Parts: sequence; structure tokens; C-alpha cells
Amino acid sequence: MTPSSVALNLALSFAGLAALCLAMDRHHRAILSGAPSRLRAQALRWTGWAGILASFAAAVVTSDWNFGPVQWLGSLTGAALLLVGLVSYRPGWIRPAAFLALPLAAAAALLA
Amino acid sequence: MPDDSSRGDFPKGELAKRDARPRSGARYRAAVAGRVVLAIFGSYAVAALATALLSLILPMVRSEAVATATLLSFAILAGAVIWVFAARTLAQAALGLGLPIALLAGGLWLALSVLTPGAPA
Amino acid sequence: MRNGFRQSMAWLHTWAGLVTGWVMFAVFVSGTATYYRTDISLWMRPELHAGAVDPVQAAERGVAYLKERAPKAVSWFVSVPQEDRPVIGVYWLDTLESPISQAMLDVETGAPTTARATQGGDFLYRFHYQLQMMPLVGRWIVGLCAMVLLVALISGIVTHRRIFADFFTFRRDRSAQRGWLDAHNVTGVLALPFHLMITYTGIVTLGFMFMPWGITTAYKGDGMTFYVEGAQSPSWRPAAGRAGAAQPLAPLIARAQAEVSEPLEMVIVHNPGDANATVVVVFEEPKGLAHHHPQIAFDAVSGAVVERLPAMKPAAHVFTSFLGLHEAHFAGPALRVLFFLCGLMGSATIATGLVLWSVARQPKRGAAPGFGLRLVQGLNIGTILGLPIGIAAFFLANRLLPVALDHRATWEGAVFFGAWLLAALLPLARPHPRAWREMGLLAASLFLAVPVVSAITTHRGFDFLWFDAAMVGLAAVLGFGAHKVSGYTGARPAAAAQSQNKLARA
Repeated sequence: MTPSSVALNLALSFAGLAALCLAMDRHHRAILSGAPSRLRAQALRWTGWAGILASFAAAVVTSDWNFGPVQWLGSLTGAALLLVGLVSYRPGWIRPAAFLALPLAAAAALLA
Repeated sequence: MPDDSSRGDFPKGELAKRDARPRSGARYRAAVAGRVVLAIFGSYAVAALATALLSLILPMVRSEAVATATLLSFAILAGAVIWVFAARTLAQAALGLGLPIALLAGGLWLALSVLTPGAPA
Repeated sequence: MRNGFRQSMAWLHTWAGLVTGWVMFAVFVSGTATYYRTDISLWMRPELHAGAVDPVQAAERGVAYLKERAPKAVSWFVSVPQEDRPVIGVYWLDTLESPISQAMLDVETGAPTTARATQGGDFLYRFHYQLQMMPLVGRWIVGLCAMVLLVALISGIVTHRRIFADFFTFRRDRSAQRGWLDAHNVTGVLALPFHLMITYTGIVTLGFMFMPWGITTAYKGDGMTFYVEGAQSPSWRPAAGRAGAAQPLAPLIARAQAEVSEPLEMVIVHNPGDANATVVVVFEEPKGLAHHHPQIAFDAVSGAVVERLPAMKPAAHVFTSFLGLHEAHFAGPALRVLFFLCGLMGSATIATGLVLWSVARQPKRGAAPGFGLRLVQGLNIGTILGLPIGIAAFFLANRLLPVALDHRATWEGAVFFGAWLLAALLPLARPHPRAWREMGLLAASLFLAVPVVSAITTHRGFDFLWFDAAMVGLAAVLGFGAHKVSGYTGARPAAAAQSQNKLARA
């Protein structure tokens, strides 16, 4: 439950949710351009769920079974709120932000 | 879904539909009032009776039975309220609560007369 | 009341949400603030400085004070100072039925503190679950509304059939109604686990008050025995009726501390001065979700251990974990921020839902709004902006009321309710959309004034930087929100033109 473990959680959740968001036609159109190919959408969906799963694993490993799930849900909410804000106000930032989240997660993981 | 065109947003779709039909009238109001009363008192009766009964008959130490029953009671309460408003007619809603109330009350009476309450389980 | 499950649930969601929305908004806002209750208390007593103290000595000082102040009480409670709560809290019960009395003592002297009289963060905390009414009435109102909210949540989930498809969707460039609906959905869905958890655990927190029937049948109404058997409280030892000389306190506490590794939290003395007096040493919650404090009870006269609180059984553990989840005492700073954020989202879900109701029923241009709509509009602005104005005024009163004022803590509360009432009545005299902008501006300015006034009236430098930042943040949120509402609810043609422009630019 240290700040760095929450940061790790937030970063992984954000990257995962961003991929899930991009896997959807409407958002892919608005954020990148055109609808994603079926393969691309599938890949994004898998990546997204993998990110969310990794976030859950990270939460449980760093904050144990007691607090891990609580922290995971909280960070999913926080990351999703940020993502929705970006989708409606700064869609161009989503892709760089999602890629930036990964090294951030790695840095946080070293500290957590 | 008949109204998929409304894209799942209830205020727009449902309200538009609702506004299309007159829904004043004493009959409608009485039906709404009846459901509200039923939801408040009937649902509470179901939840209260279920809590009282489960506290006696759940196969655990009595403090555990009381904690479990009380934890569950509010889910039972919410479910009963949902039922009252989901039922097709007021009579159906009343029947759907009245039957469990009767059963639970009977069960409670039985449990109270068979078990000696107060003795550590 | 429509045909079809989903329509019935939509109807239920609309009306259940509307009738309890105002109360639940107030409960959510004050509850969210309560995540920072100790920080608020610390801010509201600027004379006190956080710092470590010897807990055993503090407990002795508290008991010494109570010996003088309330020698005939049935129970004494002394909560020892914590780093973020640098006072000794003493509480006592004159009889088992009487309301609890309390005092705050200075850590150094053990005499009543000279810090300004204020309820601090406890004011919002008590408001959160009993609305500062008579406890029984307030708690039943909050509980009833919370149960309706639970129903509104469930029916809302059923109603909102595109939860996953619209998960990331907030269309602010479409119609006003669409924007409010999306805002309602997004804040509701993204924090849905929190909303469900906080509502259910909140009801459970007062569960035995709302649903005492398990204790009635299984315990013949004897709640005390239930708590003892459930390992939540040591058993009550009745008074012997003759005087007894109590052992010194410090060695008893030291013996308890040797058994428990958590920090000391509270010392309780039941039937003080009696031959059967009991000393209960209470420790802070160990790491875990459950709201369960280790406790060791001593015979005060002989010094023998009479009881160690046993471990809880599964159902009791779940029950207390619900309470723990609700209060989130376990949350460290980072997780606490997320809980706070979720609380704000809950408040926003309710607020946007209330606004949505009125926006969806906006009369055609030129037509006068009916009484129902006017009422809802008035209550909306009076609650959504009135309550924050009350809170900002409460903080300002804390800094501006003279420190020596009689009944000072009560006056702070009076300012809170007075400002709220005023803020609810004023907008009734103004055109609706403009009232939102004006009151929003007022609320934002009041919150901005808090750090300024605080800096002028106290000399704490940058000690409360986080509090100040929160005030500025709240001012920004309120100003932005009110600006949006005023743009949407009334000036429809303008809003439409605006969104047309945006579309043209896109």
C-alpha cells in the first residue's frame, strides 16, 4: 500500500484500459484514425486485459490479499477517470501516455 | 430490443415514451402509492422476518448466525424492493411479498417454539 | 411502473434517485471529507502542533482528570494522543443510559486544552451519519435514504444497458442532456465498485439499529451478550457496590503492551472506584481490513487479567471488515487519495443525476417551468452549491470567530447551517441559470478565501500546504461545474450554438 505500489497499479491499469479503449471502434476512430482491423482490435483487447490482470497481480504481490483487491479496484477507477478525461479533452495524448505508463510502471515496480 | 434506437439512454428513450402516454389520473397515482407503501413496509417485513429466522436456524454459533443474517438482510431488503417495482401488477407484487412473509412468519413461530431462544447454541 | 423489467427499473431509478438525492449528496460530501477527518481537526486547532508523546503518561493524565471531573461515572474512556491528534480525549458516561460527555486535554499539562473550542473534523463526521439531528432521527433518515440509494444503484445498473460499450464515453459536444447523462454514467460506472461497497457497508455500519431482529430472537434483545460472544467487546463486570483501591495504571498498561505489538489507542475504566472496577487496555487495529481492536481487560483492584479479546469467527470477521472498508482507516496516503476521489465521484454521480432530472424536464422555450421543476431546481442548487458554501463558511468561521467566544463550537455549527440556508434561499430570487453561475462563483471564492484568511489569522507557515491545495482544488471544481450547469440548463440556444461551433471546428 506504499505510494509506489499504488503508482505501479495506476500505471498498469491506465495502460490496460487505454488498450481496451482503443480496441473499440468509436474510440479508435476518434483517437487514431479509421476503425481497427479485426486482428488489431483483438490484439489490443488481449493487451488490455493482460494489463488489467498484471495490475491485479501487482496489487496482490505488493499489498497482499487483504488490501490488494481494494487497491486494484481503486486504481482502476482512478486510471479510468484520467483516461475518460483524456478521451474527451486531449485524445492525442492517450497513445503517448499509455506508452509512457509502461516505463513508469517499471520504475514504480523497482521502488515498490 | 424494441427501442435499441434510443441507444440505451433511459431518460431520452423512456421519458419520451412516458411522455407519450398520459400517466396522471387517480388510478395511476394510487397504484404508485400502493407500491411505495408495499416497498417500504412489505420489504422491511420480509427482511426483518428473514433476519429473525436465520439468526435462529443457521447452523453456526448464534453470534455468527446473527452476524450472517444481519449482513444478508439488506440484500434481501433491496431484492424485495426491486421485486415490488418489477412485478407486472400491484396484486402480483403484494402476493410476491405476502407469500414469503407468511412462510417466514410460520417458520419463525416454529423455530421460536421448538428452540429455546437465549440458550447458547 | 412501465411494462417490461428495464422500463420499471428506469422509473424506479429516476424516482428513487430523485427523492433521496439531496440527502445522499450531503451524506456523500461529508463522508468524503471525513476521509481527512484528522487532518481537518488538526487544521481547525492551529494552536496544536503534531508530535510524538508518551502514550502511557497521557493515559494516566486522562484518568487523573476524570477522577476529579467525573468520580461517579460508570465508565471512563481515555484516548491517547496520536501523531496527527495531539490531544488527550476523555469521555465518560454518568449512567449507562446517559449521553456521552467529553473533554479535550492538553498533552503536557493534562488540563483542558487552551486550543480554540471546535468540533473539528468530527462535525462533518457526525453530520455524515446523523445530519447533526437527534441521533435516532438523523440515523434513520440517513439509513432510509441509503437503502433507497442501494435500490437506485441496482436499478441504475439494470437501466444502463450499455455499461461496457459506453465505458469510456463522455460526449460533451452533443446536447446538454446527453452531456449530463454521460457525466452521470461515467462517474457512476467507473466508481461502481466503490458506490456499491460504500452504500452497503454504510448501511451495515448502523445495521443493528436498522435490523435488530436477529439479536431480538437469538439473544432476547441482549445486545451486550451478542458483542461479547462475537469477540467484539470484553464482557461487562457489574459493580460490587463497595469501594476498592485501584492498582496504579502504568504497570497494567505495560503488561498489556508486552502482549500486543500494536500501539496503544485507548484506556477504559468501568465502574471506577468500585471493588469490581475493570481496566480495559485497547490497541490500534492490526494490519488488516477488519475493524477489530485487540483488547485486554484487567481487574483494577487485583491487577489480574480477566479477559483477552479472542480472535473473531468468520462472519464477525466479515462484518467488521465491512465496517473497516467503509471507514478505510487502513488506507495509507496514496490509497486514501483514491478513496477520496471515489467519494467525489459518488457525489458527482448524485449531483449530475439530480441536474439531469431537471434538464430532461426543461420546458420548451417560452413556457414557464411548473412547480415541481422549480422545486427540484431550487433544491438542486441549494444542496449542490449550498452545502459546499456551508462547509467553506464553517472553515472560515473557525478562523474568524473570536477564540474566547462562549459556545464557540456551537457557533461554528450555526455558521455552517446559516450559510447553507442562506445559500439555498438566495438563488430562489434569481433567474435559474444565472443563479448557478453566481452561487458557483460565490462557493469558489469562499474556498479560495479559506487559505488566505488562514494565513492572515494564524502563524503556521506552510504547515497546511495540502489543506490549502485541497481548498484551491475544490474552488476550481465548483467554479467549473457551476459554469457548465449555467451554460446548459437555461441558455439552451446558446449551448446549442456553442456545440455547433465545436462541431464546425472539429
